[in-house]
Amino acid sequence: MNPWIAIGALAVVSVGIPVAMMAVSSLLRPSVPEQGKSAVYESGEIPTGTTRIRFNIQYYMVALLFVVFDIETVLIFPWTVIYRPALEGGASMTEVLAPMLVFIGVLVVGLVWAWRQGAVQWVSSPRALEEKTEANQ
Amino acid sequence: MILQTESPLPDLLADLLGLSGSGVAGEFVAALLAAFIVGNVMLAMTGVAGPWAKRKITAKFTDRIAADRIGPAGIGTIPADALRLLSKELIVPEGADRPAWDIAPLIVAGSAMLGFAVIPMGSGIQLADPEVGLAYVFAVASIASLGMVMAGYASNNKYSMLGALRAVAQNLAYEIPLVVTGVSVVLFTGSLRMSEIVAAQQETLISVGGLAIPSWFAIVNPFAFVLFLAANVAEVGRNPFDIPEAPTEIVAGFQTEYSSVYFVLLYLGEFLHIFLGGAITAVLFLGGAAGPGPESIGFLWFVVKIWAFFLLTQWLRSAAPRLRIDQLIEIGWKGMLELSFLNLVLTAVIVGMVA
Repeated sequence: MNPWIAIGALAVVSVGIPVAMMAVSSLLRPSVPEQGKSAVYESGEIPTGTTRIRFNIQYYMVALLFVVFDIETVLIFPWTVIYRPALEGGASMTEVLAPMLVFIGVLVVGLVWAWRQGAVQWVSSPRALEEKTEANQ
Repeated sequence: MILQTESPLPDLLADLLGLSGSGVAGEFVAALLAAFIVGNVMLAMTGVAGPWAKRKITAKFTDRIAADRIGPAGIGTIPADALRLLSKELIVPEGADRPAWDIAPLIVAGSAMLGFAVIPMGSGIQLADPEVGLAYVFAVASIASLGMVMAGYASNNKYSMLGALRAVAQNLAYEIPLVVTGVSVVLFTGSLRMSEIVAAQQETLISVGGLAIPSWFAIVNPFAFVLFLAANVAEVGRNPFDIPEAPTEIVAGFQTEYSSVYFVLLYLGEFLHIFLGGAITAVLFLGGAAGPGPESIGFLWFVVKIWAFFLLTQWLRSAAPRLRIDQLIEIGWKGMLELSFLNLVLTAVIVGMVA
């Protein structure tokens, strides 16, 4: 049997079971809507402001780096699969290992550059730094 | 290597039920049945782990008793809790982004369950065995971050929003060390197929006083094993990396606004992810379902191994303090990433020397 039929079947089941649980729950649970209940939880306070704001995520550069390294792992996958068969097939170690070392080396140089630029760390927002220094004074 | 079939359990069921001759429709029925069995086995384990084992383990660590009212050692609390949680009122927060808010729990629970499709659980229980098994399981497991972001953003709650953003930061930082350390095992096996990864670990490495030590990759390459465990704990978001939830900082992170069955599904998804993490670790580093005794009890060994991983996460929960988000980013990008590439290159050199 094609394995992807089985995986497709599990996809059906893994959506079906949660949906079935939701259906059972909707039969069991009460519904007593009240205004206070549906208020967004902010530790018991009345919610202030909106959540839909522009927010500094502070790891923008890291997210960009992730894209680079994620593609790199995709390219490493096939190399790891053929590595041992190629060696056993008579290829010399420099032939199979050296190109990958160069490839990883190029990316490591990039990572070192990003590290020195301060890209791989949590960026404190200027406002937070300002508040900190004011508190220190 | 003898490869009997690419979908062991569905084929077995198809033979038993006499469906093997009835074309694709019959195959799909058998596959559906097998998927239902696998899904429910894992659900049963999370059912034991979530409402009971987690509380009992933490209670032991902190010198308390925990659930003990219903049944022996409080085991009866499992059906009671299931019923209680399912019959809770569903409270929809004001301004929730409705379709996304409803779909997020489905994605978190569904993606975790989907990962078990390729896991060889021993005793012939394996749903599918495609050639790209390892790549598939990493790909499917990481879909859950999408569900977390949806849940956090759609809840219209500031804590949820922060939790979702933290979940992204964490998964970005630890996905690559996890995958790169995982594929260092493939250098030994030369295959991404789960059954072949397991089979490659069955040879005897050395014999110590008549005791044959198998060539499990945890023994062959302990450095990769430790690295993988750490990245795995971070990937499933357990202590000391439970930053997306962080109950003492942001209430419950992305799941703050969820109640009733939606909360159950998110919680279930997280526990399934712990077990999936344990299953991947078992397959890659602990010889899959191998253990002393006949091959037919392999499933028991598989259960022992994934519960050992679960115990580890609960142990860390009681023993390790939570990291700060900036520390998490630094450990991920300035430590784990470099170590994982170092491990990959060293493994390649060692395999090159041996082969």
